[in-house]
Amino acid sequence: MTQHEQYADAMALYAMGALDDQRELAELQAHLGACGECRRELEALRADVALLALSAVGPQPPQRSRERLMHAIAAEPRRQMKPKSRVVLGRLRSRWLTFAPIAVALLLLIISGVLFKENFKLRNRNERLSAQIQDEIGRSAHARAVLEVLNSQNTQKMVLVAAKEKPQPQVKTIYQPEKGRVLLLASNMEQLPADKVYELWLLPASGGAPMAAGIFKPDAAGNSVMLQTMGSDRIAAKGFAITIENAGGSQTPTSPILFAPAG
Amino acid sequence: MRVSGTQVSDPKDERALIARMRAGDESAMSDLYDRYSGIVYGVALRVLGSTSAAEDILQEVFLQLWRNPQAFDADRGKLAPWLAVIARNRAIDVLRKRPMEEDIEELPISTGVSLEDEASERIAIDKVRGVLAQLPADQRKALEMAYFEGMTHTEIAGKTGEPLGTVKTRIRYGLAALRKAFS
Repeated sequence: MTQHEQYADAMALYAMGALDDQRELAELQAHLGACGECRRELEALRADVALLALSAVGPQPPQRSRERLMHAIAAEPRRQMKPKSRVVLGRLRSRWLTFAPIAVALLLLIISGVLFKENFKLRNRNERLSAQIQDEIGRSAHARAVLEVLNSQNTQKMVLVAAKEKPQPQVKTIYQPEKGRVLLLASNMEQLPADKVYELWLLPASGGAPMAAGIFKPDAAGNSVMLQTMGSDRIAAKGFAITIENAGGSQTPTSPILFAPAG
Repeated sequence: MRVSGTQVSDPKDERALIARMRAGDESAMSDLYDRYSGIVYGVALRVLGSTSAAEDILQEVFLQLWRNPQAFDADRGKLAPWLAVIARNRAIDVLRKRPMEEDIEELPISTGVSLEDEASERIAIDKVRGVLAQLPADQRKALEMAYFEGMTHTEIAGKTGEPLGTVKTRIRYGLAALRKAFS
C-alpha cells in the first residue's frame, strides 16, 4: 500500500485492466508517471492479480501442443548461441544502445554550443583586429602623406609672416613622451659650414642635463624635418633647445643655445 | 509455476534456463515450457472455455517469448506470474475480440512468491483457492468477472446492479486478501 490512498481503488482496477473511467485513468497514469512508490505498488498489485491465475491451474495441455511449439521454434530463424555472460552484457548493451543516440546527440549539442561560442569569440576578436588594422592603415597612410608633403623635393614650404617683416628662423618640436619620439620642423634656418650641424636637446623636466635629441642640417631653402627617437622613453620634457655643434654631434652642448622654448 | 505435470529440476536454475533460452538454446525453451505451460494453458482455458483456443494462446505466448525474450526482465520478477499475465491478457483480447498487440509487452511484476518447485507451487495453488473460497461471494465474483471475463468495473456494476464504488472496493479488498495470505 502507498501513502496515496486516494489512488488505491483505481490502482487495483488498473492492475487488472478493469479501470474504464477515462478521467480517473488519465489522472492515475499521470500520477504513476511522477510517483515511484505508486509504480512499485502497481507492480505488486500485478503480482497479486497474477496469483488469481493459480486458481485456474489444473487442466494440462495436450502433448501435441508441446510438439507444435517445438516444431514452430525449430522452424524459426536460428538465433546465435551466446555464452551466458554475453547474454547479460547483451541486455546491458541493448539499454546502452537505447540511450547512446541520446547521449551522442547531447554531447554533439554541447560541443556545438562550445564551438559556436568559441567561433563567436574568434569572430569578434577577428573583427576587432581587422578594425585596428584598418585604423592603423589609415593612420599610416595619413602619416606617409604628411611626411611626403614635408619631405618632397618639390614641396613648396612657405612661412607666412607679418607684412613688411623679414622671415625669421623658426623651429617647431612635437614630442611624444610615451614613445620617446620627437618631430622637428624647422624653417628659414641659416646655412652652416660643412663641419657644423644643428643639434636638438631635450631639457628634462627633472632639471637634469640636456639630452642629445638628434642632429640636422637645413636644405638650401633653410628648411628641415627630422623625426628622432630617444634612447629611452617616458622622459618628461620641459622643453627643447638647439645649439650648433661639430659634425657628428656632441654628447653635451658645447655652444650657446640658439633656440629655446618660447615663453 | 510448473503446470504441465512434468517434474522439475533445481528451482534455482530458472535464471540459467532463461539465459540459455535467450541465447537460442531450444532445449532450455523446452524445459521452460514443461515448467510453465500448465499455468498459461489453465488461464487461457478458464477465460476462453475452449481447449483449441487455449492451445492457440499457449502456442502464441511461448512463441513470442522465444522470439522476444528481452521482453521479460528477470531482474524485476519471476517468469511464471509474467507468463500468467500475458496469457490472461491475450485470452481476454480473444474473448472480447480486441485486436492483439503484435509483440508481448514488458510488464514489471514484482512477487516474492516461489512457484519454481512442485511443493511450493502446490502450496500456492491451495492458498489462492483457499483465500478465494473464504472471500464473501460478491467479492470473489467481482474479482473473477474482472480477471477471467475481462470486464471493467463499470460493466461489473452494470451487470450486478452494485454501485461503482462498491465494485472498486470489492476488487481492491479481494486483491488485498490475496496479498495478505502470501505475506
